[in-house]
Amino acid sequence: MLDHQLAWYVAGPVLGLCVVVCRALFNGRLGVTGGYSEVVAQLVRGSVRFDWRGWFLIGIVVGGMLFAVLGGGAGVGGYGWLTGTFHGVLGQVVIAAVLLVAGVLIGFGAKTAGGCTSGNGLTGTSMLSPASLVATATFFGAAIIVSFVIEAVI
Amino acid sequence: MRSRLAGTLIGVVFGITLCWSGMSNPTVIREALLFERAYLFLMFASAVLVAVIGLQTLRRRRARALLTGAPLTWTRDQPGRRHVTGSALFGLGWGIADACPGPIAAQIGQGVPWALFTIAGVLAGVYLFLRQGAAESEPAADATPEAMTVAYRPLLAPRA
Repeated sequence: MLDHQLAWYVAGPVLGLCVVVCRALFNGRLGVTGGYSEVVAQLVRGSVRFDWRGWFLIGIVVGGMLFAVLGGGAGVGGYGWLTGTFHGVLGQVVIAAVLLVAGVLIGFGAKTAGGCTSGNGLTGTSMLSPASLVATATFFGAAIIVSFVIEAVI
Repeated sequence: MRSRLAGTLIGVVFGITLCWSGMSNPTVIREALLFERAYLFLMFASAVLVAVIGLQTLRRRRARALLTGAPLTWTRDQPGRRHVTGSALFGLGWGIADACPGPIAAQIGQGVPWALFTIAGVLAGVYLFLRQGAAESEPAADATPEAMTVAYRPLLAPRA
């Protein structure tokens, strides 16, 4: 069952309900980048007393683990266009470097914009926040353009 | 304490759903961004629709948070330059790695070795941001110096 992609009309509403439940239970603004931010900020202080956002991030990791254990697949193996393009030991070094740099762009960019796909894309958009609507249109546009550029080059 | 437990459980549901919907699979993300499959956009739209209806309902009922008793208040930001520049950088990284922060965490749980590099980058990027802008604390999108906060009015407000 888990090896079949969940229907979009089930997956979407479940993610939307997560946003609503966060708000209903403790007036929380669901956002994964907030979780990373909390974890980094606490670790820098030498503390592991994370607030709910840090625990939300940990919950996602646990969710991924449960999914793999329950038969959804570990998801190991190739990694999209990167492992399809770069081969050998040198290729692996290139992939690692590309993912590291992409990660920095993701973390720094999402913090600058006040949220990522979840914080701005789901939660902010659902709050009808003009800033989040602009952010969402921008990151979708940028990601689409980058994907087409990569497609043209490789 | 109860908020932390609830946050963890919501995270577990969120993480399983991200994996089950294929969002932790970079090939699925890439197909979506190249407009080869509509799945991601349909899922995203239905998620936003459900959340809009849910949040509006909470608002209209003037509900209080079930665990903390806090009044359910939130503000909306006006777009600023940082929303465009930050999201452009974020989108660039997303389109290259074909994973955003949630799915990256889910990949770690699933045991995707490559995700170790992506998550290391994300943590470094967040650290760089926090270091340069210590004044700008969380929640960034809820209250910022340059953001003009506007009062939230429900779209579906009952007529007085």
